[in-house]
Amino acid sequence: MSRFYYYLILINMIANIISAVPTILLRYSEDGSVSALILGVFLGTVIVVFFTKFFNAFPGITFPEMLVQTTKKWFYYPLLFLMAIMWFLAGVSTLITYTFLLIRFFTPDIPLTLMGLTLVLSVIFGCFMKTDRVLYTIEIVFLINFPIIVFIIFKAYTSKDLNWDFIKEAMLHVVEMPNVNAVAACIFLSLGVVNLVIFNRFFTHKQHFGLKQIIVIAFIASATIFTTYFVPIGFHGIKEIDELVYPWIATSDSMRMRFFLIERLIYVFLLLYLGMAFLSILIHWHVSVELFKFIFKLEKWKYKDLNIGYGILILLFAASSLFIILTLSEYQLFRYSVYFFNLTAVIFFLMPFLFLWIRRRMKGADKTKGEN
Amino acid sequence: MPTKQKGKTRFFVLIALSFLLFLSGCGEFKDIDKMVFVSMIGIDKSDNPKKPYKIILKLYVPTSSFRQNPTPQYSYLIKDGETLAETIAILEAHLDKELDFGHSKLIVLGEKMMEDEKNKEILDFLIRRPDIQMISYVAMGRPNAEEIVKFVPNGETSLQPTLFNYFGNTGAESSFIITTHLFDFRRTMNEYGIDPILPIVEINEPGSHFIIDKSIILAKDRIPYELDAEKTLFVKILADSAKSVFFTVEREGEHFVTRLDNIKPKYRVERDGNQVTIRIKIKLTGIITESRNTLDNRKLPEYNRMLEQEMKEKLNALIDEMKMKGYDPFGFGLRLQSHTLPKDRMTDQEWRTAFKNAKVEVVVKSNLKSTGSIQ
Amino acid sequence: MTSQETLSWVISQFNDTSEVIQKHLNYGNKQATLLFIKTLIDQELYQKYIINPFFELPSQEQYHLYLTMLPQFQEVPSKEKALQFLLEGNVLVAIQEKLYSIDFKLSKNSDVNSTSVETTIHGSELALSDNLMTNINIIRSSYHQPSLTIEYYLKGEVNRPKVALVYDQKKVRKKALQMIKEKLDRIDKQVITEAYEFNNFLNDKRFSLFPQMILTERPDRVVYNLAGGKVVLLVDGSPQCMMAPAVFFDFLTTMEDDYHTLLISYYLKLLRYLGIFLCILLPGIYIGAASFSPEVFRTELMLTIAGSRMGVPFTSFVEVLFMLFFMELLLEASIRLPKAISATAATVGGLILGTAVTEAALASNIMVIIISAVAISTFVIPVNEMAFAIRIVRFLLILTTSIFGLAGLTLGLLCIIMYLVNLSSFGEPFLRLYNYRKGDKNSEGQA
Repeated sequence: MSRFYYYLILINMIANIISAVPTILLRYSEDGSVSALILGVFLGTVIVVFFTKFFNAFPGITFPEMLVQTTKKWFYYPLLFLMAIMWFLAGVSTLITYTFLLIRFFTPDIPLTLMGLTLVLSVIFGCFMKTDRVLYTIEIVFLINFPIIVFIIFKAYTSKDLNWDFIKEAMLHVVEMPNVNAVAACIFLSLGVVNLVIFNRFFTHKQHFGLKQIIVIAFIASATIFTTYFVPIGFHGIKEIDELVYPWIATSDSMRMRFFLIERLIYVFLLLYLGMAFLSILIHWHVSVELFKFIFKLEKWKYKDLNIGYGILILLFAASSLFIILTLSEYQLFRYSVYFFNLTAVIFFLMPFLFLWIRRRMKGADKTKGEN
Repeated sequence: MPTKQKGKTRFFVLIALSFLLFLSGCGEFKDIDKMVFVSMIGIDKSDNPKKPYKIILKLYVPTSSFRQNPTPQYSYLIKDGETLAETIAILEAHLDKELDFGHSKLIVLGEKMMEDEKNKEILDFLIRRPDIQMISYVAMGRPNAEEIVKFVPNGETSLQPTLFNYFGNTGAESSFIITTHLFDFRRTMNEYGIDPILPIVEINEPGSHFIIDKSIILAKDRIPYELDAEKTLFVKILADSAKSVFFTVEREGEHFVTRLDNIKPKYRVERDGNQVTIRIKIKLTGIITESRNTLDNRKLPEYNRMLEQEMKEKLNALIDEMKMKGYDPFGFGLRLQSHTLPKDRMTDQEWRTAFKNAKVEVVVKSNLKSTGSIQ
Repeated sequence: MTSQETLSWVISQFNDTSEVIQKHLNYGNKQATLLFIKTLIDQELYQKYIINPFFELPSQEQYHLYLTMLPQFQEVPSKEKALQFLLEGNVLVAIQEKLYSIDFKLSKNSDVNSTSVETTIHGSELALSDNLMTNINIIRSSYHQPSLTIEYYLKGEVNRPKVALVYDQKKVRKKALQMIKEKLDRIDKQVITEAYEFNNFLNDKRFSLFPQMILTERPDRVVYNLAGGKVVLLVDGSPQCMMAPAVFFDFLTTMEDDYHTLLISYYLKLLRYLGIFLCILLPGIYIGAASFSPEVFRTELMLTIAGSRMGVPFTSFVEVLFMLFFMELLLEASIRLPKAISATAATVGGLILGTAVTEAALASNIMVIIISAVAISTFVIPVNEMAFAIRIVRFLLILTTSIFGLAGLTLGLLCIIMYLVNLSSFGEPFLRLYNYRKGDKNSEGQA
């Protein structure tokens, strides 16, 4: 597979360390998170395989284009609209979490609105870039950040303060029945692959996707999820870990770099994750923007040379995300995230059935074309 | 040309926006010289029962050139209050500059505070504040936090409070100093099967430097239990955090000191019904550094045996003491939990009785490499 | 139109005829008419190859044949062309009702310069010359491929300099070549004097920060880039040439990179990239650390900064802007000044000003160190055009940092990366990690 494909999956996994996912998982640490992790990784990988196989069969064609060819209008417009909204919300959830984080740990004096607006504005113009440019941006930022992420994870695992007894204690909760919310949160980590609905446009050649690639993805997924869930437990114990609002921030604050210019790892972590959050929002919103563009045919909304459609979309994005930032509290964010993850898990689980349908129709369409 | 036009408008929108942001943003600008940095936080029990907390903040006083002014300067803020947050808010109000806790690396709790069962409350405050480092050291101050915080030993240079160097193996690598970080304190406080332990900081008699070699165990809902220097050393050995230990062996007419450079403790906790067995295995590697009598290289196995016996006795004594009193700074309970399925786990109460009746087996394997440069 | 008529038409185009000389040669049975501009041709060559043979060769036919054999010989297709040839320093010869042009151009600027902008320790010290033909000669003689193609254009309504488009037919990026040709056709400028102007002429955007074409004076860089599929634009009279499409990494490559051993060249590259990050980020980091999040850096460092800032009357970002402003002035001044004085200017500006500013507590010591570090690391960027762009980017980042602290700095950097990626240079993405893939086997397309 192309390396860009892996970026899409990896960034979704890594960036979610700062989102509500670890909070949700740790909340249920004594009621079935661990078994949910295993189930989640498995189901996540299944979804990844389904999506990849499907999109790989039609290189260079986006999901909306396929729908147009194979389904009726009344079906695909609502579906795409729902997906666009969902992907917008996925971006917003990262955005809110990160805005809260920045305000709390970095620049407590800057008003929430301003911080949120800045984040929105810095990302939103990027969402209108061409798909290949989005991927190039992702690659550069990701490769700058990746060594530092590896360093932090290495540092965490080699730290003497990481108490494996806590981790083992937590692991033994595996005997409990998996918690539904935790499974959904876990599946969400693997949903980076859904971005292919638009990004498939970039992969114009058919690629090899075999057992080796599946194993790599399953391995990456399990390693990330293991780290996401167990490292905070190793540092903070299991009993009252759910007290911590941002478990990973607390974890990164539990490591010290004695000889480095920046002594507290938390700041390296925060700045690094600003980059990752940026990428995550960029990807999600790019997909969302492209879907909206498709649904409302925004390219055509022109006044003289100015494209008002884009302007309206930018305004809508900025205004609605600001509104959400200002109204939600941390607790509400957590609760809605749970609902959101459950919803996405269900929807993207039903998707493969639709894929089977499309696949059959597409073959038919190809055939008729060939006959003509 | 459409591209030209679009580029232009976008540019102007950006410019306009950035100016707007700039104008609104300027108010948040605060300079470093308008801030004071807290070096350490001391929390004492005050005499006033209505305002039980006494907070002592040690502040750095920056001077324009540290080269020309090597003696350290600090200022202090002291205030009694009913709650910690409120007290700090009052302190901030009294100051013309902003207090910055981001650089505070040590939290000293007064001895009296320990007996007061306020640890949970203090911890809650310290953790809740985002600007206090989770990685800051926690220690107990004797006779109280104020004296420790205010004490500046001889030879201290500015920028580097001596007290920090004792912890975390930054300066001294003493085997008697327990290092406890704030997050560590919190997790051991919350968790069953492990008890938090803090180092005790004292000032020596003439008042020239710190002494840190004792420690205190703070079990939940029991009175704190103090460990003297030797016991502290053994706790460190068992916790695998001792780097280099000098250990004296005195038996069978021999009297020698060993330097143990490599200590590898391993322990297993097994449970059979309500009977708990703790198996401890320690591997020691080191050399003999001092002896009253002449030593014979050929008799190294003998010395090894003596060291093993001595170590075993001492460790057994310590663990027995801990068992009797019911303190568990090693995390034996946690270790037991780590391989028990959740449904079979003991409650806190069950574990405590089980620990009291636990069987302890200590195995020491020592490997003395040499008798030093002379025999 | 006969050759004589053409000649008289050409003469009539000149108002002042003192420069244009017409000679009628008539000896025995031989006849010829010559037309040339005295100041443009090499009179020695004229004497040697046109006048002498005329008298030595026995017949008109032989002389005619002789002229056609000359390497400078060209036929004249039209009267406009005749005028242009004349203006370029050719001698027009009318013989036996035929009109020929013989190139005896005299150029005093054909000497090869030595490198002054892109200096290196290793490698050639010779640069391009001011003469187009010499430059083409240099390129041709170090790039031996039959596929090397050179196309000439005349651009600029008034001064009409010769512009040469050089590329390797086999390796050139077709799309980029197409775009360049289209844009060249659209140029409607009056005067073109320097190759560098094409950077703006061939650019559709009005506000562009980063250069779309790379400027060089080094023949080895030209050859290297020709082989890499770039198009080279040379202008007569300009000692530098432009190459397109240019991507970000081209601006960070020196020709020396290939002359060193692998590890050394990696080390130097690393140094360069660190330098570019440092010179963009350092002022921002200072502002962010000193004014927004003093808890980020280690205690000792922050206390030192706090100490050194004592008594400084400005807030950190005014301080940074103040010092940067002087540094930029110094940079500009030392370019404009004669070489003899510029060293003094640097001393006065850098050393004396720096010391005095800290003595007077107008800026902190650390600030002076930072500014010098920034200045030094700006010089690490090998191509000057990029260094200018980077200097502006630095100010943008200072702006974002002054509003949002270190978070603003990071966001600003991300936005700049995004902006760079979004730029295209003649169809080529300006910034992308792997620009030149071997072959077309890449699994991704472009969308």
